[in-house]
Amino acid sequence: MRKFPRWLYAFFRRSLQARWVTATVILSTFALVSVGGFLSYSIGSGLFETRQQQILAEAHRAVVEVQNTFTASASADTETLQGLMNTVIPNLESKSASSSRNVALLRSPGQSTGQYLQSPVSLGLDASLIPDSLRTAVRSHPSKLVYKSVSLPIGADTHPGLIVGAHMEIPVAGAYELYLVYDLGSAQETLDFVQRTLFFGGMALILLIGAVSFYVTGRIVSPMRKAAEISAQFAAGDLEPRMEVSGDDVIAALGSSFNTMADSMKSKIDELSKVSQMQQVFVSDVSHELRTPLTTIKLSAELLQSRAEELSPAAVRNLEKLASQISRFESLLADLLEISRFDALGVVGDFEVEDLNGVVGLSLAHIQPLADSKGSNLEVIIPNGPVQAEFDPRRIERVLRNLLSNAIEHGEGKPVRIEVGQNATAVAVTVTDFGVGMTPAQVSRVFDRFWRADPARKRTTGGTGLGLSIALADTKLHNGWLQLVSSPNKGTTFRITLPRKQNVLFSQSPLPLGRSRS
Amino acid sequence: MHKILVIEDEPDMNELIVEVLETAGYKAEGVLDGIAALEKFASMQPDLVLLDVQLPGFNGLEIAKKIRQTHGTPIIMLTARTDSEDIVLGLEAGADDYVPKPFDSPVLIARIKARLRDLKTSGSEVFTLGPITIDVAGHEVRKDGVRLQLTPLEFKLLETLAATPGEVFSREELLIKVWGYKFEPNDKFKPDTRLVNVHVQRLRSKIEEDADTPHFVLTERGIGYKAGSN
Repeated sequence: MRKFPRWLYAFFRRSLQARWVTATVILSTFALVSVGGFLSYSIGSGLFETRQQQILAEAHRAVVEVQNTFTASASADTETLQGLMNTVIPNLESKSASSSRNVALLRSPGQSTGQYLQSPVSLGLDASLIPDSLRTAVRSHPSKLVYKSVSLPIGADTHPGLIVGAHMEIPVAGAYELYLVYDLGSAQETLDFVQRTLFFGGMALILLIGAVSFYVTGRIVSPMRKAAEISAQFAAGDLEPRMEVSGDDVIAALGSSFNTMADSMKSKIDELSKVSQMQQVFVSDVSHELRTPLTTIKLSAELLQSRAEELSPAAVRNLEKLASQISRFESLLADLLEISRFDALGVVGDFEVEDLNGVVGLSLAHIQPLADSKGSNLEVIIPNGPVQAEFDPRRIERVLRNLLSNAIEHGEGKPVRIEVGQNATAVAVTVTDFGVGMTPAQVSRVFDRFWRADPARKRTTGGTGLGLSIALADTKLHNGWLQLVSSPNKGTTFRITLPRKQNVLFSQSPLPLGRSRS
Repeated sequence: MHKILVIEDEPDMNELIVEVLETAGYKAEGVLDGIAALEKFASMQPDLVLLDVQLPGFNGLEIAKKIRQTHGTPIIMLTARTDSEDIVLGLEAGADDYVPKPFDSPVLIARIKARLRDLKTSGSEVFTLGPITIDVAGHEVRKDGVRLQLTPLEFKLLETLAATPGEVFSREELLIKVWGYKFEPNDKFKPDTRLVNVHVQRLRSKIEEDADTPHFVLTERGIGYKAGSN
């Protein structure tokens, strides 16, 4: 992996705008570099080509003129010739700033005949700059202009230069070569200027593009960011915020559809919560309204029972049935009301730090008569010493009683085992029976309201079908777990795990949920 | 034979409660509405009142308040709504105890007995709690010599706490000692500690300078109450 600072990576991941601006800037830099490079190349070559044409035409004229001058002086003596040379040649020099031109007239090497004349060379021109290859070319093409690009050292700099050479026949003196050395510094300067302009222009353009894309993406991103913030608020349960809508573009369309969605969701949620509230109130009202008539029925039955000796045996049996159904009705009402309290989120635990063993003992005492009547032996495994935890003892006792009565009812008279365990963060109780058990499909429905594993089964404990739903709700109230494993004909284990303290998290139950021992 | 006034708007229920009470050996009379109830109370002078708080027309709470203005007669509320504000409001209005519907007649009779038993408290001690003197025999509480009007239940509560100053009583203990509850393992009616809380508050409003900063009946957080004298 490249070394990419983590915060920068995170910043780019987070900021859509940063990504867009960066991408735009990088892509436009590529575009500008290629366009600028092409421009600078073609301007450069155009510039040098034009200058070269100019130079060649100029050089041609100069060469013809000089040749003519020498040819015309064919009869002159050496001294006159030398003088002519010394005037004609320097005349070709030019020191203007735009195009400096140096001149050298060199005698072609390898001539034994003829008069030796001093070769005039411009001041400041190093004749050794004239490459041998050029000189050879001049000699082998006596009727043509020959040129070559060179680098000219001017002070500390080097300028591009062009040397044009021509063959020259000087009477008496023999073959000479005329070299015109042009300094192309000004063309280079022009090109440099153009390139600098392109560079700085390009830089400015990139900054400008960056700024523009920042502005444009900002215009697009900021409503999106706003939308994200508002949706987050919405998701967190605040149904009030809405997006600002201005104009008629796609952003405005986003805003107004979001608002429409928010409005319809809010009205739907309001409606649903109203309905569910009405339903909860209704269930609670029904349960309460039924209590007064139920009390009347109950009191009547009790009065009748107190005079049982005046009744026929058949009537007494019916009265017993009535009484048992009344008490079932009563527990059903109580459970229904409890469930409706949980549904209305109106349940507050009454948490105290207590010894779980004590609560287990209490629930065992409650359930002992039922266990005796079914012939189930209650095996209790509890740790030495107290098992302290923060819980609502009344609710936990109710949960345990429920699990125990289920275990006894489905335990087929076999023993029922109760085990208590603790670790640093949690306490747990398991209730295991070795009776009918349940299939996985049955297990998945075990906490459903009014669901019974076997509808045909004879009910002996008068359960309401709400017991496990309430037990689960009670456990959740404690931030605990209520879990089970079951297999048909082997039995069922329920395990309730509670945190030691209500604000302490736990990740493991002190007791296994397996069925290791039998 | 104790006289009990039954105030219950449901005629069948009213009749049945009266019958249950008579079977149990009390002299009971029933009225169906609030206005008749107050008249009956005045003429009958009952030893105990059974009151359905959800009376139509004339609110049960009003009746409790009216009775409390002049009498310390024990009042037991009958209520179908046990989780609403009704219980606390009823207790604050002056009821001593409540029995939630649906109830068993033995439970109702046990509660009535417990309330009537209070009246027979006997003893000859006089407890003092700072400026407060509690004369058990004379059934009288004075603060700086001024006699305070306490209901029998409030008296019993104060007496229980003041008998051993500094000793902390849990709410459950007080329910047993003061209200005469008996908690059986299979008792369907779980101790409702609101009973104690509301009565302590009522007692404080009568004996303390400021019920919110008590000096005589002190709360022991997480445990219960104790009598103090500072």
